[in-house]
Amino acid sequence: MAFLEIDRVGKSYDTDGEGRLVRVLSDVSAEINEGEFVCLMGPSGSGKSTLLTIVGAMNHPSEGRVLIDGIDLYGLTDEKRADFRREYLGFVFQQHHLLPYLNAIENVMLPLATASAASSEKRDKAMRVLEKVGLSDKASRLPGQLSGGEQGRLAIARAIVNEPPLVLADEPTGALDSRTGREVMEVFLNLNAQGQTLFMVTHNPENARLAHRIINLKDGRVVSEVAV
Amino acid sequence: MRISTIAWANLKRRKGKAAFLAIGIAIGIGTAVALMSLSSSIKEEIGSQLDQFGANIVVAPQSNSLDYGGVFSLSLDDQQLKEEDASQILNIPYRNRLSVIAPKLLGRVRVEGREALLAGVDFKSELALNRWWRIVGRAPDTDQELILGYEVARVLSLVEPLAPLAEMQDDTEHANHEAGEHPPFEILRDRINIDGREHRVAGVLFETGRQEDRMIFGSLAYVQGLLGKPASLSLIEVSALCKDCPVEDIVAQINEQLPHARVSAIQQSVRARAETVDRLTRFFAIVSGIVLAVGALMIFTTMMGAVIERTKEIGVLRAIGFRKAHIVKELMLEVAVISTLGGLAGWAAGTAASFAALPYFAETDVRVHIEPSIALAAVLAGLAVGMLSSLYPIIRASKLDPSEAVRYV
Repeated sequence: MAFLEIDRVGKSYDTDGEGRLVRVLSDVSAEINEGEFVCLMGPSGSGKSTLLTIVGAMNHPSEGRVLIDGIDLYGLTDEKRADFRREYLGFVFQQHHLLPYLNAIENVMLPLATASAASSEKRDKAMRVLEKVGLSDKASRLPGQLSGGEQGRLAIARAIVNEPPLVLADEPTGALDSRTGREVMEVFLNLNAQGQTLFMVTHNPENARLAHRIINLKDGRVVSEVAV
Repeated sequence: MRISTIAWANLKRRKGKAAFLAIGIAIGIGTAVALMSLSSSIKEEIGSQLDQFGANIVVAPQSNSLDYGGVFSLSLDDQQLKEEDASQILNIPYRNRLSVIAPKLLGRVRVEGREALLAGVDFKSELALNRWWRIVGRAPDTDQELILGYEVARVLSLVEPLAPLAEMQDDTEHANHEAGEHPPFEILRDRINIDGREHRVAGVLFETGRQEDRMIFGSLAYVQGLLGKPASLSLIEVSALCKDCPVEDIVAQINEQLPHARVSAIQQSVRARAETVDRLTRFFAIVSGIVLAVGALMIFTTMMGAVIERTKEIGVLRAIGFRKAHIVKELMLEVAVISTLGGLAGWAAGTAASFAALPYFAETDVRVHIEPSIALAAVLAGLAVGMLSSLYPIIRASKLDPSEAVRYV
């Protein structure tokens, strides 16, 4: 059985509040195995980000189900789903969404804030992750004092500090220039080389070519699945 | 890194907004503290001023027949109280609530061919009891000296009214009269004859419209000798500090000490005191409530704004695995710190304001009391107002859909 199983997922939104539904995803099925790096591509409005939030246990699908490690995400209660996100998933957002008032190491430690471990233990763990992404010398800097590429790497560090089995990334290089974008992609590739499963939404064909597989989405449907 | 670290970092980052919220709470709590402190001090002042209106408890022998000030009827021939009865009153458990004990012996005497009521009193107690008394002349220095009621002095032609204010030409004299220093009459002679003995008149009371206008006052021991009733008393007037004490209990305790006496409270006076104090307290409570409600509304609005402003941040926290309860905890910690500081600042400001405002509300030297319990109550009230008014925005924040929130710009 695949590690991530997307099973005939559909999603409709009531955009005008009058019951007229707009269908964003229809009958989407896909599988990702442990250690795989899969990219999701498609034009704007094709439903890529919606699918990523559904896989990210944040957005209830209208139809179908999503299983990660055999767990049906939407069979869980809201609070259990929050615990699941903390333990199983790491998120990297396009805008990074770093908290501007916390320094780099504090941002990395955020997913550990609710854990009962000692602060020193959390700090050591965060520092190890910062080293992994090449930011150990900038641990005390605020996000605003880091370059775009560094912010991207910091967002990745935050996503992996809990050692989640699956990292989800939504156009992580979308807001970066090509040089810093490559810098960030190198970090992803290194992680994947160490066995990290990655599921990434991207517009960038160059980045997609770095993945094992590309799933193409159009008008909310999977139109092709290509091994790279 | 704990949830409290995020709360603390957020407070440091949003110092201005945190200060604004704290000031909102401080204004509400400060107003309540100031009004409560003022209310308490004014209650104290009203209580002591009301106590100056005179006796509110009268102790008399069981059988009486002569009317005394519309309160009692006394039989002048049937003296049953003794001087030690007055000291026994001080044995009651509520003795600390008694401000004045004024024993009296009453008797009829002939003054220059007319009959008059002579009262033997302890002048120190009597003047403390009847603080509205104003004397032309002075208080007696020796046992043989007397004070006369205005009506007695007028009938005996001892006094002559002075020219009314309108006829005065001198500005200084006018000012003195306005200040209450100009006597309405002057004493023409200071000797009177009681039962064949000459006595010196130390002073004459301003007209009061009460029974003392028709009385002569001498020292208790001297009058006891003059009337041939040593150590006897006709009645004892007691003034209790009853702005908040149960006068009925005091009456019962005195009755227990003096079973042979009749002890009565002047209920009208007591009720008036209680009512005045209650009205004042209610008024201040309502004003405090309104100000606190306005403060709470301000906090509610600000917190709603803060939640909208922090939608993305809350969404990120939810996305990385914070439970709703974690979000509530983080935001509540922030509000708790702000509310505690606001409560403390409110207490300090309210206490300072009541110090500054008290002279405009109270005339006597009554003071604002600094009590730790009020500081504690202010902090708790600040916390309650802050928490309750933030509850809805915070719960709303915790329910934000993380997928929508992270898209929010």
